[in-house]
Amino acid sequence: MIRGLPEYAPMTDAHPFQRPIRDRAASTDAPVKDYGIASPTSECADVGAPRKTPRVSMVVVLPENHAVMPDKLAEGLRASGAEDVDVLIACAGQPANLNALQRCVGKAQFLLAPAGTSAADLRELAMSHATGDIVTLLSGAVLHGAEMAERSFVSTC
Amino acid sequence: MLRQIDLSVVVAVAEGAATLSRSLQSIVDSELQETEFELIVVDDASDDGSAAIAARYADTVIRLTARRSGLAYARNRGAEIARGRLVAFVDQDIELKPDTLKLMLQTLNEHPGLDAIAATHDLRHCAGNFISRYWNVLLNVGESSYAGVGGGFGSGCGMVRRSILAACGMYDEWRFGTGTLEGVELGQRLLRSGHDVLLAAHVRVTQLRRWTAVAALREAFTRSALLARSLGYQQTRSSAPADVVFTWSRPALPLVAALSTVALLGAFVPGRDWVFTTALALLLVAIANARTVTAIAGLRGVFFALRAVPVHLCFQAVSVAGLCSGWLMRDTVGDPRPDAATQAYAEVGVEMWPPVPRPR
Repeated sequence: MIRGLPEYAPMTDAHPFQRPIRDRAASTDAPVKDYGIASPTSECADVGAPRKTPRVSMVVVLPENHAVMPDKLAEGLRASGAEDVDVLIACAGQPANLNALQRCVGKAQFLLAPAGTSAADLRELAMSHATGDIVTLLSGAVLHGAEMAERSFVSTC
Repeated sequence: MLRQIDLSVVVAVAEGAATLSRSLQSIVDSELQETEFELIVVDDASDDGSAAIAARYADTVIRLTARRSGLAYARNRGAEIARGRLVAFVDQDIELKPDTLKLMLQTLNEHPGLDAIAATHDLRHCAGNFISRYWNVLLNVGESSYAGVGGGFGSGCGMVRRSILAACGMYDEWRFGTGTLEGVELGQRLLRSGHDVLLAAHVRVTQLRRWTAVAALREAFTRSALLARSLGYQQTRSSAPADVVFTWSRPALPLVAALSTVALLGAFVPGRDWVFTTALALLLVAIANARTVTAIAGLRGVFFALRAVPVHLCFQAVSVAGLCSGWLMRDTVGDPRPDAATQAYAEVGVEMWPPVPRPR
């Protein structure tokens, strides 16, 4: 199941969440579905339960004017050891290839912030939705400079 | 496959929202290339949004949500996932110079015999109030006096070889669950096991925290008591030569002894000349603190030093009380230990997340 798909709502000019990102990040009662992702509690019912190992989340931050190749995303996440972790892809605006991304990275949740949201704001927003005890945040620049498998992971449009 | 990197920077934070952003920004703005280091922030059960601030800068954020376990515990969790062959520990209220990390990295690379390096505080303090500046100048005086190899690892920014850190047993999670002097104890352990630690006068950092008088006095008492209780008198003296506690209390301890002697002798003097006794006591105070006050005057001016004298005496008294209390606790109760449940869990070896604080 692709988490996020049922909750996904296309961004339009009339979308109620086009107000500044800072307001939304500061808000504590904003419904999670408004960001186009599934509720973290829907598939992580054991959040408060004792466990032996830490939950790990991986956040991929895609600011505006950045795109990600779906196959490279899947390959890069595998290379980063992300097979057993929750993956959250935070995008500023709606990626043109959203459907392809969802097909290729089935486990990922998608967090769609308004276009123009800065990378730092995207990171903060994604952090508030990540459920992991250990949250790794990857940006396009870092992925660019990594191993060959990750080299074309993110490219500027 | 993940690439290898030289350096992992670990910042442990607990309720640090006031200064964290500035501290992390200074790390990100370092002269080191972005690809040369990773930034790991460990949030020790903060509820002031520190984790969200950390996410804006860090490569990895570890959230410890169960209960606050202390800087030593939090730093160990960061070091466990670090990938660099060197690990730097930076306090949440420390601002680095652009070249701080680069200088530390260079020094360790150029001196293979050196295993750890700690930065020293500069004189600049951003808070601006008198107590903060006084605290900062004491740190500066103490660290400047003892800079060099063997000077300690207790400052707000230190870098150590990861293999050496692991071999030494990392930070002490039991003794320093609530304290802030885990670096002092680690430095002592590194030195005891034959590793060289450099307190580098040429590598500077800036203190960001704003101290109030009450908070600073409480900190002085806590640090003194914890050090004395954990390490005892001899080890405390040898392990914390540059620590701010000793900038206060070193001259105060013989001073207290001298004043007690004077008071005792005064009981046998007929007529009891209080003017003479008071003058003698003040003279002893002046002699005991001459070095520190002169250093403060040299750094901050005579007027600042004169203002600092009564504050200094007050802090000395509190610090001595803390040391005495710590030694008393050490002799009567023993080493600080976590609660019984934690000890039992650690003994049984329960595997859970977050992990049970480990004894060394």
